Amino acid sequence: MDTRMTMETLTDAERYPTLTGHGRRMLQFLREHPHAPIFRNESGNRLTEEDIARVRAFDHEAQAAEVGWRSGELPSWLGGFVERCFAEVPFYRRYGSTPVDFQSLPTLSRADLSRDIAPFVPDTAAIDRLINFRTSGTTGHPLLLASHPVVAASYLSFHKRALRRMGIELRHGRGQVGVVLVGYQRKCFTYVSVTPTMDESGLAKINLHPADWRDPADRAKYLDALAPEVYTGDPIAFAELAELPLQTKPRALLSTSMGLLPAMRLRLEARFECPVLDLYSLNEAGPVAVADEPAGGHVLLQHQLYVEILDDAGRSLKPGERGEVTLTGGFNFCLPLLRYRTGDYASLDFRGREPVLAGLEGRPPVRFRAGSGEWLNNIEVTHALQRFAVPQFTLHQNHDGALRLQISGGGFQSEAIRRCMLELFGQGQSLTVEAVSHFDGKVVQYTSDLAGAQP
Amino acid sequence: MQREGPILESLTRRLAETPEDFLSEPRIGTAGQVHVAAVVGDLLQQLDIPFTDDRLAPFFGADARRDRNRLAITLVLCWLLSDEWFRAAKPKSDELLQLLHSEAAELAAQAASKRFVADPDRREELARIALARLGFRPAGETVAQAQDRLTTLNSAERARVMQASRAAEERARKIREALVKKAAEESADKWTRE
Repeated sequence: MDTRMTMETLTDAERYPTLTGHGRRMLQFLREHPHAPIFRNESGNRLTEEDIARVRAFDHEAQAAEVGWRSGELPSWLGGFVERCFAEVPFYRRYGSTPVDFQSLPTLSRADLSRDIAPFVPDTAAIDRLINFRTSGTTGHPLLLASHPVVAASYLSFHKRALRRMGIELRHGRGQVGVVLVGYQRKCFTYVSVTPTMDESGLAKINLHPADWRDPADRAKYLDALAPEVYTGDPIAFAELAELPLQTKPRALLSTSMGLLPAMRLRLEARFECPVLDLYSLNEAGPVAVADEPAGGHVLLQHQLYVEILDDAGRSLKPGERGEVTLTGGFNFCLPLLRYRTGDYASLDFRGREPVLAGLEGRPPVRFRAGSGEWLNNIEVTHALQRFAVPQFTLHQNHDGALRLQISGGGFQSEAIRRCMLELFGQGQSLTVEAVSHFDGKVVQYTSDLAGAQP
Repeated sequence: MQREGPILESLTRRLAETPEDFLSEPRIGTAGQVHVAAVVGDLLQQLDIPFTDDRLAPFFGADARRDRNRLAITLVLCWLLSDEWFRAAKPKSDELLQLLHSEAAELAAQAASKRFVADPDRREELARIALARLGFRPAGETVAQAQDRLTTLNSAERARVMQASRAAEERARKIREALVKKAAEESADKWTRE
């Protein structure tokens, strides 16, 4: 490979192709504020005029579209989508002829995408506009995914849809900051940008870790100066954000990357006096669903994404039966998915035409053995702990049956958590509850050394 | 190809009229409807060819992504070979099973199964291949004519497939290169990160 190509970097003109004086002033404000953090990277929206028109058109479609299908039926767009995949995508072309029966289609796994992403990119995708999204994951299958600036910008359409469900219409515009993406990691990709479809409102991706700031006290001063309409991040970053003496209040928080326990959501809602949305989002498919308590789970956000629940043998399960969340469709036209098994688990319920993911959990189920010898599914642990405002936790069962629960940011509740776990597992259960300052990013939440732990 | 077979058009017409049952999804694992091994077994019985169950092993399939197109072509061949003429011709067991397995696998690498029903050139190719592998040529053709026409059809398709495959590999290489460029790494704005 030509090493010069790999070293190629972008200019600001390429990062922000349609930047006006207003946008330039916003970037300057975000970068050069006296309390600004150390921005370690550069990125941009990469959108041309033509792209912006495309993003706007997609947004209109996404806001107006109905999301869902009737139980036992397939959405009307699905047949055409499968035909296009077989015609245009090298990987699917190898399957042969389009099947009459959708459920006869082979399934895909993360390992397939991890092996080589190139055959999943349709013949129609322009190579010179490709961007990538990388994820190391926790499953041993790192991903390098193909995407496009229009796809990245279109995430906002689904955020808007999720926010509207909570009664929030975004109203920021020129001269204001729309969103701050917060992280709390030792190392984090940080940069500033503008959102052209919101009249070049500001976007900052920052790391709340003190190492990224000249003075940790600058964090609150900087964020108050930005006063973003929305914060996005994961529960760990939000736990840190909640500790800052902020004077300003966002209109919403969007939580992604890891599960948000209900008590943690309530704690954040009380702290910020705004709705906190728990998004189910994947690098492979973007924002899939948002938690909606009255609906009984996560409601779907994308109008061209079909969700099935499959068993281990790849059979489609009935509503209410728990299995692997499997996706077909999506808005990433550089990575159309046909029956992609996400590695996440839930059941699918229907409220009329609206499918709802109930009991959504990342990763395959793990069973834990209680003192009585009874096996408990990990979802029971999640349910038991949902009233605690814990940003993140892991549970491991040793060969000898002893349990080790590690919790971050909830040390003050250790005793109550212990009691709750013993109620679930029995008073004689050997249990260590350990408070840790933080985990290093995403972790495998439930693990066990016991044979029979994987049902 | 030493023996004269049926009129070619009778076979291509039969292919064009392949019933839905023979175009259904091959059963692999828990998916699909048609048990191809059972259909092959029925065909062998119909043709009075004795066989043991182990000869049917290649027609079960294990991986849908790898096997479904091959088995779908085997099904189309089963329909073709259940024609009255083949019953009378009494093909040899080994030649027949090789046609249904190895030849189907080679054809599967070239085209989707339904093209051998829908596309006139592919229908002719499949009919000629079936005859040739069983030692026949179309009625009214000399050996040279039959060989020449099969080579023309087959090599044109192979050339097309080779060219498409080279182009696909070249594009895949460019995609891999584009994705590891620093510019692609810089990504683009998403409001949320996973």
